[in-house]
Amino acid sequence: MKTAIIIFLSTIMLSTILLADEYAVIANHKMKDLSTTQIKAIFLKKITVIENINAVPVNLGARDPIREKFENKIIEMNFERLKSYWTKEHYLGKRPPVGMQSEESVKAFVKNVEGAIGYINANNLDSGVKVLYRWSE
Amino acid sequence: MRYIALVFIFLLSLHADEEYQLGKGVQAGSLPLYIGGYFSLDYKHTDDIDRYRVDDVAVMGYGNYEKFSYLAEFEFKEMYVETHENGVKDSTNNDKLYTERLYLDYNFNENYMLRAGKYNSQIGFWNLLPVNVLRETTSNPMSTSILFPKFTTGLGSSYISYGEGELKVDVMLQHNNDISYEYNNYKIDEHYGFGVSYERDDYTLKLNGGYFHNLDSYAVQDNLYYLLLSAKYESHKYQILSEIGSQKSKNDYTTDYALYVQGLYRFNEQHIGVIRVESYDDKVNETDDDILIFGYTYRPLYPIAIKSEYQFHSRSSQNQFLFSFSVLF
Repeated sequence: MKTAIIIFLSTIMLSTILLADEYAVIANHKMKDLSTTQIKAIFLKKITVIENINAVPVNLGARDPIREKFENKIIEMNFERLKSYWTKEHYLGKRPPVGMQSEESVKAFVKNVEGAIGYINANNLDSGVKVLYRWSE
Repeated sequence: MRYIALVFIFLLSLHADEEYQLGKGVQAGSLPLYIGGYFSLDYKHTDDIDRYRVDDVAVMGYGNYEKFSYLAEFEFKEMYVETHENGVKDSTNNDKLYTERLYLDYNFNENYMLRAGKYNSQIGFWNLLPVNVLRETTSNPMSTSILFPKFTTGLGSSYISYGEGELKVDVMLQHNNDISYEYNNYKIDEHYGFGVSYERDDYTLKLNGGYFHNLDSYAVQDNLYYLLLSAKYESHKYQILSEIGSQKSKNDYTTDYALYVQGLYRFNEQHIGVIRVESYDDKVNETDDDILIFGYTYRPLYPIAIKSEYQFHSRSSQNQFLFSFSVLF
């Protein structure tokens, strides 16, 4: 009986892991390796220059589910808190990252623009971009 | 000159490329120039006085190009004030346009930034976002007005390091007269200050210290030193903010202490409750007080704030009710 329970629970855990979606923070190949704290600082516009290149963070659309996961995981702020953050930053002379409507647009932008950094589903990765960080949920 | 700049900014904003959003400003055509501003109206009631005020009306422009960024802000302060005291009405107008902030930044890399111009002194938390619409009460804590110069005109520099958390070091240097010195809580010609802050997860701790030379002719002490310790905890629902500091001259303490602790609770996105406790002992003005403040803020949209608060003072004649309406655009 005990063995059956262990096998049953292990099966559930394994299927959860296998079914979890994986996401990636991507950048142009010229971008150096970055910690999650630095990635967060780039998307909050605290870092604007990386090794002589202007950092260009790119968001997905305002209510995109991948953006929501990215903001909860990396930025550690929900949508409402970020709205108030960017209102305050307007007073300090800073703009939120530009938004793009699709993961393909983000990937194309990141491939072509030095200093660009974005995030997509890991299923859509290809060799044209550099992966800075991966997470799954 | 400043009026011409305002007209120029207004005309440019008419040619904006992108759709306007309240609280985000608007881009002037395709130029590296964003235009915005804010205003606030407030009302104060004490046992003796009712005061109505158009307090701040400000326009600002900012942008960035390559490693440079800039910000300019011009403001009418206390544009219209009407008081009713013991049945007597009095009103004043002020149409002087002050330069509130005017600076240029150069970002060397992800760690170092250099600033030149007039800017909010990088001291504590409150002084970084001092405008009505962005703070959570109509009033400002006394500790943010009496300990240090709110503005610095000169050079500023910051160093940021990212490890497990964020370590930031600020340096402020002024060795010249202020731009628009009337628009500062101290008239100064020297300010040398530092700040060290560490932020990790939801917590931030900050220490500031410095020296400034006070030019006010009535000032008893002109060489003043300050020290301020600030702490902040912020989550989705709560914020706890506290600052405690002291000011001294070469001989004696000019402000023994000034402190506040403020708790904020977000009932939801629009409704926010605030409680603040303040205490200070200012020897220069020979005033001291303990204050308990209950506040409530309604934000139909984040850039619009409708705020009310009631202050209980240790001297009950100073108890007061404040109400304000402010917008960031």
